[in-house]
Amino acid sequence: MATHAFKQTNRLFGFSLKKEWLKLFLWWLGCLLFVFIGIFAFVEIYYDPMERQAMAMAMANPAMEAIFGRMIGSDNYTIGAMYSHMMTIMTLILFSIQSILLVVRHTRAEEEDGVVEMLQALPTGRLAHTTSTILLLLLVNGASAIGSAVVLLIFGDASITLEGAVLTGLIYGLAGLLFGSLTLVMAQLSSSARGTLTLSFALLGFAFILRIIGDGGIELLSWVSPLGLLYGTEPFVNNHWWPVLVGLGVSVLLILFALYLKQKRDLGSGLLPDRAGKSGASAFIKTPVGFAFRLIRTPFIVWTVALAVLGVTYGSVIGDVEEIIQGNEIVQQVLGGDETTNMTEQFMVTIIGVLSLAATIPSIQALIKLRGEEKKGRLAHQLSGTRSRTKIMGSFLFLSVLTSVWMQLIQMTAFSGAAVAMGFDISFIDPILAGISYLPAIWVLTGLAACLIGWIPKATPMIWLYLTFSFFILYFAELFKLPEWFRLMSPYEAVPDIPMDAFSWEAFLVLTAIAALLSVLGIVGFKKRDTD
Amino acid sequence: METVIEMNQLGKTFGKTQALKEVTFKINKGEVVGFIGPNGAGKSTTIRILLGLIQADGGTATIFGQDVWKEAVSIHERVAYVPGDVNLWPQLTGGEVIDLFLSMRGKKVDQERKAELIKRFEFDPTKKCQAYSKGNRQKVALIAAFAADADVYIFDEPTSGLDPLQERVFQDYVKEVKARGASVLLSSHILSEVEQICDRVAIIRQGEIVEEGNLDDLRHLTRTLMTVKTKEAVPTLKDQAWAHRVKEKSGTYTFQLDSDYMNDFLHFITPYSVVKLESAPPKLEDLFMRHYETVGDS
Repeated sequence: MATHAFKQTNRLFGFSLKKEWLKLFLWWLGCLLFVFIGIFAFVEIYYDPMERQAMAMAMANPAMEAIFGRMIGSDNYTIGAMYSHMMTIMTLILFSIQSILLVVRHTRAEEEDGVVEMLQALPTGRLAHTTSTILLLLLVNGASAIGSAVVLLIFGDASITLEGAVLTGLIYGLAGLLFGSLTLVMAQLSSSARGTLTLSFALLGFAFILRIIGDGGIELLSWVSPLGLLYGTEPFVNNHWWPVLVGLGVSVLLILFALYLKQKRDLGSGLLPDRAGKSGASAFIKTPVGFAFRLIRTPFIVWTVALAVLGVTYGSVIGDVEEIIQGNEIVQQVLGGDETTNMTEQFMVTIIGVLSLAATIPSIQALIKLRGEEKKGRLAHQLSGTRSRTKIMGSFLFLSVLTSVWMQLIQMTAFSGAAVAMGFDISFIDPILAGISYLPAIWVLTGLAACLIGWIPKATPMIWLYLTFSFFILYFAELFKLPEWFRLMSPYEAVPDIPMDAFSWEAFLVLTAIAALLSVLGIVGFKKRDTD
Repeated sequence: METVIEMNQLGKTFGKTQALKEVTFKINKGEVVGFIGPNGAGKSTTIRILLGLIQADGGTATIFGQDVWKEAVSIHERVAYVPGDVNLWPQLTGGEVIDLFLSMRGKKVDQERKAELIKRFEFDPTKKCQAYSKGNRQKVALIAAFAADADVYIFDEPTSGLDPLQERVFQDYVKEVKARGASVLLSSHILSEVEQICDRVAIIRQGEIVEEGNLDDLRHLTRTLMTVKTKEAVPTLKDQAWAHRVKEKSGTYTFQLDSDYMNDFLHFITPYSVVKLESAPPKLEDLFMRHYETVGDS
């Protein structure tokens, strides 16, 4: 019985590899590219120890620690220390996302499609499908760990020691393994792929926020967060190994727990209860917009809560940092601002940008739900009715714009409110104004997504790549000293830096016009093309 | 006769819904059994329990004498299953998926048999699964099932989406595997199909087997469709307990007769000077309809 449970694991594993190798390979390459860009840029730009030391001073404050992580190695801020400090959290998140998507795709999504039913009706073990996914998870994260360590060693300078590089690679792989295992447990609790994905990303977000609050003072919380725990290894600075052991242990326990649940439960069921719904449709969902909203209601609520929490978290750590660095010429020179620049405001600009990018995700999701419906063959139900294509796509676009406005207002109010409540010297209205001025940039992204849906529907997911690219520019442009023309490839860079700069009608209107044009183009394409 | 599948008072509850109350029946070696009943009666739940996909919370179920949940893997070496809604990996071809399913059995794939099936079902194995219609996706599962040298075949509405010609091919293969001694459980709404190929039927309603037996036996329980033309009007026909759904059109009566009351009917009708008398054999459908119709009553 016990050995039977795993029967055919190897074959299913081989089969998964065969059908997914390209996708897995591209993810691996993308993640390693991220590692490469970080280390390469640091070595190229921050070769001067004086400059690095100035950077260390600029970073040693609550606001920056909230963004990057607790300050480490400030007394000897080598390239290695700098890399660990500034890149670790983001890279851990990237590798975690990779694993979460991988596990959902191979477990709940396939179970929901009924594929697992057919496989399990064959002489395969009850756990084989799950264990083959675990093997895949181990393989992907093992390859990520090795690849990352090798990239660091090749492109790093003398401060990138073998021990530190190996440790860095390990925590990257471990982040994937930890969140992959967590997702595996969620896949047993929830009875749908979407539910599993939502729960897993909620946990990742929770880990991120725990780490911020922890680094802001309640240190214990940082260690409870998987991200904080792995960050605590401090590669190239202290090289602590024990968090690796803790992470490995927790992963093993999570995997065993997931297997136990899988072994016990019925196929297709989840352990969390499903609620009964309404027996008829309300007047609201009989309208095109109302219907579209009903489809995205759950993610809409989840995002509202998540962004409000993120806003409050950031708002409550942003402090008066001028005092710390006042009179330090080198710091001011590095940060590129003139002497009158208010440091708090500069951090605010960065954080508001990050929040605005985050709000773009649910806005895009609202629109490309249309494509999801099409792929599942459900769009035909709407198209065969009396609603025109313009009306159908228009509803989703309208909803997407509504989502962006709502999310921006909610999170900026949360951010401002928290900051004012903490007694920080900022104007309540500034972040909200900044949030509004970011809206047209979000609309450019949704407009682009509309164009993809209208003209090259198969390429719709590429919009996520562009969003990632924009995020990269926003987060690292300053740090990597990227040239102006390169930055302007992201629409977010055209938005004025409120409160340092004034609100600009010109930027607002130009971006809105571009967005409107793209959206109309998208609808035109959608009207002309064949649907799946 | 050797019993292959045996269910004893199977029960299953999902949350507050009792999907199965007590399902008891068996299937012998070389027997084709039709499994019919209204939507939501518990057909798929029973089948999923038999396949060890979900666990019964009452009663016992065995295939080849082994527990369906505990010994699922070894049982499945000799079982082939086709669900009614086949979903496949969009990026793989139909041929690849057939090979994958067969390879899971750990035996060498009989390429000749596979090629024959592909030809008979007029299936193109080189297309990606995302391009297949529903009927073609069913074919993938059917080909993989019949290409396996199984002792038990479990079909859950296997021909949904197939055209009538392909349905015929399916029936031929069922007869073929029966001829070599395999047992078949066929859940279906296509009653003519069940009538054609099944030795016995079991009717499930609200989680219970309400009727079970071979088709001839069951026909006794059912009604015969009668058409009678008489010289004189028969106004009292509709009042007879054994006559149902009496209709009259220009002196011709059509109605359903309880099959056991044929003699009573003949005695009754003779005085009215019969001109024409026809009877149609009872159909499974009539039997079935009776069980469908009563669902609303309880």
